[in-house]
Parts: sequence; structure tokens; C-alpha cells
Amino acid sequence: MIDIKELQTFEHDVIVVGAGGSGLRAAIECSVQGMSTAVVCKSLLGKAHTVMAEGGVAASLGNADARDNWKIHFRDTMRGGKFLNDWKMAEHHAKEAADRVNELEEWGAVFDRTKDGLINQRNFGGHRYPRLAHVGDRTGLEIIRTLQDYAVHRENIKVYMECTALGLLKDGERISGLIAYWRDSGEFILFKAKAVILATGGAGRAWRVTSNSWEYTGDGYALAYHAGTELINMEFTQFHPTGMVWPHSVKGILVTEGVRGDGGILLNSEKERFMFRYVPEKFAPETADTEEEGDRWLAGDKTARRPPELITRDEVARAITKEINEGRGSPHGGVFLDIATRIPAEKIKKKLPSMYHQFKVLANLDITKEPMEVGPTLHYFMGGVRVDSDTQMSRVPGLFACGECSGGMHGSNRLGGNSLSDILVFGRLAGLGAKNYVNSLSNKPNIDASQVNEIIKNATDILNRESGTNPYLIHEDLQDVMNRYVNIVRTEEELKTAILELERIKHGAAKVKAVGASQYNPGWHEALSIGNLLISAEAVTLAALMREESRGAHTRLDFPGERDEWLKYIITISKNKDGSMKIEKIERPSPPKELAEIAYAKIEELEK
Amino acid sequence: MEVIFRILRYNPEKDSEPHYEDYKFDAHQNMTVLDCLHKIKWEHDGSLSFRRSCAHGICGSDGMRINGKNHLACQTLLKDINTKKPITIEPLPSLPIIKDLVLDMSDFYEKNAVVKPYLINNTPAPLDRERLQSNDDAEKLFEAAKCILCACCTTSCPSTWTNENYIGPAALLKAYRFIADTRDEAADERLDIIDTPNGIWRCHTIFNCIESCPKEINITWHISELKQELSKREI
Repeated sequence: MIDIKELQTFEHDVIVVGAGGSGLRAAIECSVQGMSTAVVCKSLLGKAHTVMAEGGVAASLGNADARDNWKIHFRDTMRGGKFLNDWKMAEHHAKEAADRVNELEEWGAVFDRTKDGLINQRNFGGHRYPRLAHVGDRTGLEIIRTLQDYAVHRENIKVYMECTALGLLKDGERISGLIAYWRDSGEFILFKAKAVILATGGAGRAWRVTSNSWEYTGDGYALAYHAGTELINMEFTQFHPTGMVWPHSVKGILVTEGVRGDGGILLNSEKERFMFRYVPEKFAPETADTEEEGDRWLAGDKTARRPPELITRDEVARAITKEINEGRGSPHGGVFLDIATRIPAEKIKKKLPSMYHQFKVLANLDITKEPMEVGPTLHYFMGGVRVDSDTQMSRVPGLFACGECSGGMHGSNRLGGNSLSDILVFGRLAGLGAKNYVNSLSNKPNIDASQVNEIIKNATDILNRESGTNPYLIHEDLQDVMNRYVNIVRTEEELKTAILELERIKHGAAKVKAVGASQYNPGWHEALSIGNLLISAEAVTLAALMREESRGAHTRLDFPGERDEWLKYIITISKNKDGSMKIEKIERPSPPKELAEIAYAKIEELEK
Repeated sequence: MEVIFRILRYNPEKDSEPHYEDYKFDAHQNMTVLDCLHKIKWEHDGSLSFRRSCAHGICGSDGMRINGKNHLACQTLLKDINTKKPITIEPLPSLPIIKDLVLDMSDFYEKNAVVKPYLINNTPAPLDRERLQSNDDAEKLFEAAKCILCACCTTSCPSTWTNENYIGPAALLKAYRFIADTRDEAADERLDIIDTPNGIWRCHTIFNCIESCPKEINITWHISELKQELSKREI
């Protein structure tokens, strides 16, 4: 037994776990609200996954097309999510995104501008109008840097870098803090707090081909799950249509949707612009029939309709997969994405500088001269911690989640650009929610020493056992299983195989062994993340097996098409008393009437 | 092809000083140095420590000294470096080593914070929209704003090596980012901060920073703009 008085201890009103966009925005709000705030992040500050976002942040500023307004952004978001989105969250998002972008601008973020000096906006898949505020193709970097620099000079925010959260602590039902450890020294830390906000992003590293960075190991999902919350919509994992496919070592790295937004087209090995064949009925009335019409739309002709490359990500990713599977793929197993023949080289370098650089350095390819080869890559979790639509609080009092770590907002498929707006809108709401919750407490929560000891024991067992499995090999094994059996197109047979395989991997992971001591031990860090990845992977697989339809990012070969019956349900995952995973099909509340009217309205009715 | 990685290893728990260790394995010329470090860590020695995150040059975590030059491991392909001899991998110079290739970055971050890297504007913004800025004025900031804080430039600078108090090119670039921003009102304040012996005047235009910048930012040009601004101010 460890005497908790001997543990390094910090006390704050709120602990924010994660320092990406949602975590930093949440921390800023907590600080503005006068709370003592800690940010606990496992990397250096400013390296979080948000830096990788490229194309832009979606908000109906109406700068590039004055017809835009929040209702149309809301309608686009609901249609993109195949109406499974949490209605109230989608409303908050569409209504508040513009204020959050303007606020970011006021804090110093630099943007591409219009002729009139307003923030410029670009086209993206599923967005009716040019809606993505951006700076070239490195918008995420600008957002994280602005939030980071704004946050660090505030006095009541303390950042704990390279510090990993291991487990949440509760006093009865409510949150009382968490246990973390310093990655360099291996020393454990007790954080006492009244509220915890999880902003840890997704779990893309459970797949082999992913655009996600090394940190994306589902830490927040696992922390919340063990603490007694529900995860929802876990079957909806977004495969971004365009990841690099070659060379092998960079497979999965993102190629921004901005390439298509700025005129890029998809071609198969027969040089056919195949997307024209894949426009679903729902999008047909708003999609161009001919290349000529698509080009007019790109040139700004308001009477023309968008090219088919700019329908939603789920549709484009499925179409690419089908082309590849039917033998019309590119030499390295993707399809061609051509911007070279579409816009002048100088404009490519100006609008897509990071893409130009990325292909030049990593693939020795000049995208102003040759087409890129691209294919789907696991990109984003629509699912996550189930939270209240207004406060972002989970069913565990004092436990909040925001950004990719929370679920509901994007339904079954997220529109590009809606993530950078999501992190700003819901980061702020989580901060406000935490403030109201903390204010409502009449006494300070207590720390339960037995919980502390259990978390620390689970972590140190990995070091103390005599021998065991290599954590790196377990991780590779998991990635192969998920890539093979829980990919874009799923079947009952494959999902059942995946469940058996996950059981086998869990068995091995229970005996994982990290060689060496707790100081500076990367093998131990890896081993500690395996459990989180496995919970995330199992949740996705079980939910994918239960949802017997194809909707948004979830495609079942054995249950094609959307089933109206399933629109009534969401799937939740939680932990049984015996430690096993509980899966439930839960009826959704009926949509608020005024929101349903907007979502199902004809576009002309909203353009007034 | 067979390659040898000669890595500077240091574990403060065990080693009195850093030493080189060799790792020999088969690699492909299209592999990045980061791929090779992963291979070593996963297959040869799980204790090898280095930072990495995005793996494609936008987070700035894996700056290191590769064959004597500062660069990002994820942006360096084997085909672009000399693999005939052992490939030397060392941490960036002049920052304290925590373990192996992991450095204590506190000093680097503190210097960045000194230049007040946030917009200062006491005139309230319009209520319902953004502050205006012409695209030309915004574009003047784009190159400086590309900085990923990898520390390759600052640690490549001989002025940094000889004077640990020198603020360094990365912080100066950050100062430019705000001084040149038409929306900002604290240019003078920032110019005062860098107009010191350990500030901008330690820059002797050696150009190492440009050569080592993985984002190809012309840092020296930005610093010279600041120097001109300061000279104008003196007149």
C-alpha cells in the first residue's frame, strides 16, 4: 500500500485532460470563469493532434457567400450525419461556430482574407457554401498556436506536460480527481479536483492505416468507461477518403479535402472521373451532372451545382474503396487525385503549401505536375463519451468531455471542417458546464486511498511481472485485426472474427511486460496505452455488429442502405459490474419540432 | 540495403555521460529516419527514447541532429542522406538531455514566451465580426506563422552555442509574427524586449537557422526586417 500523503499532489478546481483544441479552449473558459485550472497532456504543449488539421474551420460567417446562415450549416451537418446527430448539439454548434472563429481571430489567429479584408472561406465536402475559414492548409497549427499562446499567459492555468492520466477518482458517484504519472521520471501524481474535463481525442491508433498521431490511443474513452459513463455511436469511425498510400512508410497520412475544395478531381486507372457514378439520391439534386457544371460552380457560378468529389466523406471513401476493389485502382492501391491539370502551379503552392511540401519530401512527387495517389485512412471517431447537450457533462457528476472524445454531435458522419468548430464550441461549453457544476457543490470531494492504490498497482504490475508479452507486438497485432476485420465495409462474419481476435489479444495484454524501471521507459508508456486501445476497439466492434444497417461511416455489406427503423436508436457501451462490456440499443428522443423543420427544409426556404 | 544507425544514448540513471551505440538492420531507401528509429525501438531496444507525434512534419516533436545537421526525423528519407557510413543520430545541441534524444525544452519555451506571443490590442474588436486585415497584410505573417517550434533553428545557431542567454532565432521569428501584424498594438513593447545584447543583436547572420528549418522559413530575412525596424526607430 502506498501512503497517499507521500504522493506528489496538486489541487485545482478543474483538471482538463488533453491539450488539443478542445482541451485548450475548455481550459481558457475555466480560467475566464475564475477557476484554478490544470491542463494535463501527454505530449509537449502545442504538439497535439489538432496541429494536423489542414483544410479549415467551418462557420457560417457568410463572408464568401452572403446567403449562408446557421440554419443552412445546421441542415448540412444533419444531412452529413444522416440525421443521427444529437439535435441540440448540432444546433449549438451551427449557432455558435461563427462567434468562436471571430473570437479566435480577436486572439490573434491569422487567416486568408477576402478582398474586403474579411476572413476568407473555402469549399468543402457537404457544405452548401464556401464555409471553411482557413490559413492555407495549416489551419489546425494556427488554431493550436493561438489557443496555446493565449492560454499560457493566463495566470490561473497550469500546464502539466508529458504527464499521462491513468485513472479517475470518485467520491461516491462524483468525480474527486485523477492519478497521472510523469512520462520522464515515472513518478505518480495525485490530482485533487472538483471536476475533470476529458479532451483526449479519438483512438485511431487501433488501426494500421490511420491519419492519427501516436497519442490517439483512446485514453479518454477508457478513463470515462472505467469511471462509469456511457460511450455512444462508437460504430461510426470516419475513414477519410484521401490518405497517402505510398511510399509504404507514410501510408495513411492525410491529404486535405482542401485539394478537392480547390478543384482537385478523383480519377481511376482508366482516367475516368468516377465520382459521377456514385452520387446518392439524397445529394443528386444538389450535385453537378457534368464536368462543365462542376467547373462553373468552382469558378463561383451561383446557378451551378457542386462537383461530385465534394459530397460527404463517407460516400467518397466508399466509392474509392469500390473502385480499388473492382480493379480500377492506381499502381500502389489507391486512386488518383489530380490538382496539377486543374489549377496553375503557383496557385497550388499558395493554397496548398503543406501538401506540396509533404509530397515533395515524402513521396518525391511534384503535385503541380503529377496526380497524387490516395486511399481511405482511419481519421476520426464520431462516437465518444455520452454527454448532456448543453453542459457536456457525462452521467458521472463532475466528469465532462468535449471534442472528438465526446460523441453525438456528428451523428454517423462528420463533415470536414466541423471538427475544428466543434472543439471551439464544445470546449467552451464544457468549461461553462464545469463552472456551473463546481459552483453547485456544497463540499469538497474526498480522495479514496484504495482507488489510488488500485490504479497505481495496475500500472506497476506491468513492470513487476517476471516475464510477459512485448507491448509493441500487441499493438501491431491489434492494428492488423482492426484493419482487416473492422474496416470501411463490414460484415457479421468479419466482426465476429474480430471479437474473437480481440479476446485473444486481451488475453495477451493481461500479461504485458515492460522491461526496465518506471523512469524514462517508453515500453511502459506503450503498455499502459494498450488497455485503452483495446476498450476503444472492442466498443467499435460490438457496436458495429449490433447496428444492422449502413448509415454514414458505418457500412454493412450484409445490411446495405439506411433502415428507417435504426434512425430511432443509438447504441451505448458501458461497463458491467463484472468488468465485461455492456452494449445497449437506446431509443432517441424525438427531434425538437423547430429543428426538424430546418433539417428537412428545402434549401431555397433557408436561403432567404 | 543494410544500414548502421549510430545513436547517442544517455540514461541518467545508469550512465555518467552520453555514449554512442550502433544498430545494424535492413532498411529501404524510402524509409524515414523516424521509421528506422521505430524499428530499432520495436525490434532491437525498447528503451530507446525520442519524441514523435504527427510523423509528417507539422507537430515539430522529432527535431534531432542527423549526420551532423538539425532536421526532423519524419521528414528525412534515407535516400537523401549518406547511408554508406554509419548514420549518426544525436539530440539537438545546447539543450539539456533528459534521456537519449529527449531534451528539456523549458528554456526554449521560456524564450518564446518572453516576446509576448499573443495579440495585444486594446481597441475593442467590432461586435459582430472580425477585425479587418487585407490579404496582403495577412500574407506578410504567413511564413513566420508556419513555425512548428521544433527548435532546429535555435539549436543550430553558433550564437546559441556560445551564449545560453541568447533569445535565439525561433523567438525572434515569433516576435516578428506579432510586430508585423497590422492588428497588434504592442510592436514597440516587443521591440524593446529584443533590443538587448542577448536579444536580436546576437544574431550575426550566419544563416544556419535557414538551413536547418524543416519548414523552409527564411528566418534570417525576418530577423533583418526587425533589425531595420529597430534602426528606423533609433533615427
